[in-house]
Amino acid sequence: MILETKNLSKSFGQRKAVDGLNLEIPEGSVYGFLGPNGSGKSTTIRMMTALILPDEGEVFIQGNSVQKMGNKALTHVGALIERADFYKHLSGETNLEMLARIDGTDFSRIQYVLGRIGLGKRGHDKVKTYSQGMKQRLGIAQALLSNPKLLILDEPTNGLDPQGMKEVRDLIRDLSSEGITIFISSHLLDEVQKVCSHVAMINLGKLITTGEVNTLLTDSGFLITEVSVDQTDIAHDLLKVQGWVHQCDIVDDKLRVSLGKDHISEMVQMLVQNDIQVSAVIPRTSLEDLFLSKVGTESVIV
Amino acid sequence: MIGLIYNELLVITGRWRSYIGFIGISILMPLFLWGFTYGGESIHDQYISQLGDSFMVVGSIFNSFLATYIVMNALWIHIPFLVTLAAGDAVAADGASGIFRITLIRSVSRLKILVSKLFASYIYTASLLLLCAFWSLGIGSLVLGTGDLIVIDKGILILDQSEAWVRMTLAFSLAILVMCTVATLCFMFSAMVNNSVGPIIGTMFLIIVGYLVIAIPLDFFDKIEPFVFVTYFDVWIDAFKDPIPWGDIIRKLGILIFHSTLFFGIAAVVFLHKDIKT
Repeated sequence: MILETKNLSKSFGQRKAVDGLNLEIPEGSVYGFLGPNGSGKSTTIRMMTALILPDEGEVFIQGNSVQKMGNKALTHVGALIERADFYKHLSGETNLEMLARIDGTDFSRIQYVLGRIGLGKRGHDKVKTYSQGMKQRLGIAQALLSNPKLLILDEPTNGLDPQGMKEVRDLIRDLSSEGITIFISSHLLDEVQKVCSHVAMINLGKLITTGEVNTLLTDSGFLITEVSVDQTDIAHDLLKVQGWVHQCDIVDDKLRVSLGKDHISEMVQMLVQNDIQVSAVIPRTSLEDLFLSKVGTESVIV
Repeated sequence: MIGLIYNELLVITGRWRSYIGFIGISILMPLFLWGFTYGGESIHDQYISQLGDSFMVVGSIFNSFLATYIVMNALWIHIPFLVTLAAGDAVAADGASGIFRITLIRSVSRLKILVSKLFASYIYTASLLLLCAFWSLGIGSLVLGTGDLIVIDKGILILDQSEAWVRMTLAFSLAILVMCTVATLCFMFSAMVNNSVGPIIGTMFLIIVGYLVIAIPLDFFDKIEPFVFVTYFDVWIDAFKDPIPWGDIIRKLGILIFHSTLFFGIAAVVFLHKDIKT
């Protein structure tokens, strides 16, 4: 494991932000870290990066305790924590030079990382002239600066337009293919599902579930299926009164049915028996569905 | 460490607030020099009236050394405020602006970052006083000329020109060390909070309280005076005594260094255990 948390806990006053969190992040994985607002994601990440001291527990990076070794344990770690903030009166390049000076990184990396995130031509401009998206890219650049083996990204696509989000997604895939482990926290579940191999979900500071994305989706006790029928309204009325159907909605003239896996054939049989032609039954379970089933609809991610 | 200090100096020189002190000094000092050039007769007459009975004075005793001595006395309350403008920002501004989220996650200890910020504040402090020296002694020498320095304190001390240069150098060196104590106090407050105004107000408040303790002749104040670090701020005046009271200077500097160490120690303990939530 490249990153582990053991019984990690942190309270702010009476509020327990993180409660006995145990995570194991395999080397080479792209690990999604999900939870609603205020669930303790950022506090956990800040404890991983030595910004916040835990009340209990430890974070281990490549076997080294962050709490015992301090920042030395972060030698091979790059991180972008929430919004990217820099010295606005200095250029992007000067900001990176300052950071390179801090951890002794070769200056030749600066142009490389600026080019890699598409800021090569704007490196000389002052940060105050950058858009939010550009600042976020610069944030990713500083995370890559020290050639990390573990990249911790907290909401890396904040402030990016759809094109920028796709570029970050592609970058994450590229970095992963280069062997860099990526721990990514995001509220965009669709984004996470597209890039992550593993995922952990937390709520109220506690771990809800963790594992490989495909396994979690397959092993979840229910399925979201998209059902195409010739009489959508009648089918909808029929299904929603069935005890084994958790939820049934009409979306784009198709039925979106949440039900147990072992009830699919029963559903099709019932529809056919009621003279409804079924043209397609497609599994559409998403990470969002899984998340909502685990965390509850009252904690919908904004 | 040099690289880290260079980083901090880049930050200080990039903030316009850092130039307030330099601009202020560069406006005030020429005004003083102009005032001494065209209105120095009254000061000259005042000195002559005190010297006339004992000495025969030929020519003018008014020169850049005397002007510097007077200016140092006059500005002694104001310079600490200028010093706090950079020291107050040193830690608090990075906390407020979220910069710590990209600097404190790197493989360098917080203590090193803190020490580099302190040294950068010291360099800024020294620069302010050196600018004062440049104006009063450098430009002042061109405008007012040089000569013997006559100091009237608990007696009359006349220092010839070469000795006056040495004493001025010593006085400014001591002044820099005193102001570094002010910078460290402000730095301590800066490590405790996430805004830059609090440390400036806190530091100036303590200094003013210190001056009041010294100035108000109450028995209780007299008892606590030795423990108030402001008491030792006038150590630079010892540079103009004859003979130079090295014992007193070393004792006073020791007390100021003790205070600086204490202030930095508190800053370090706070900063090393601080949760970065901004």
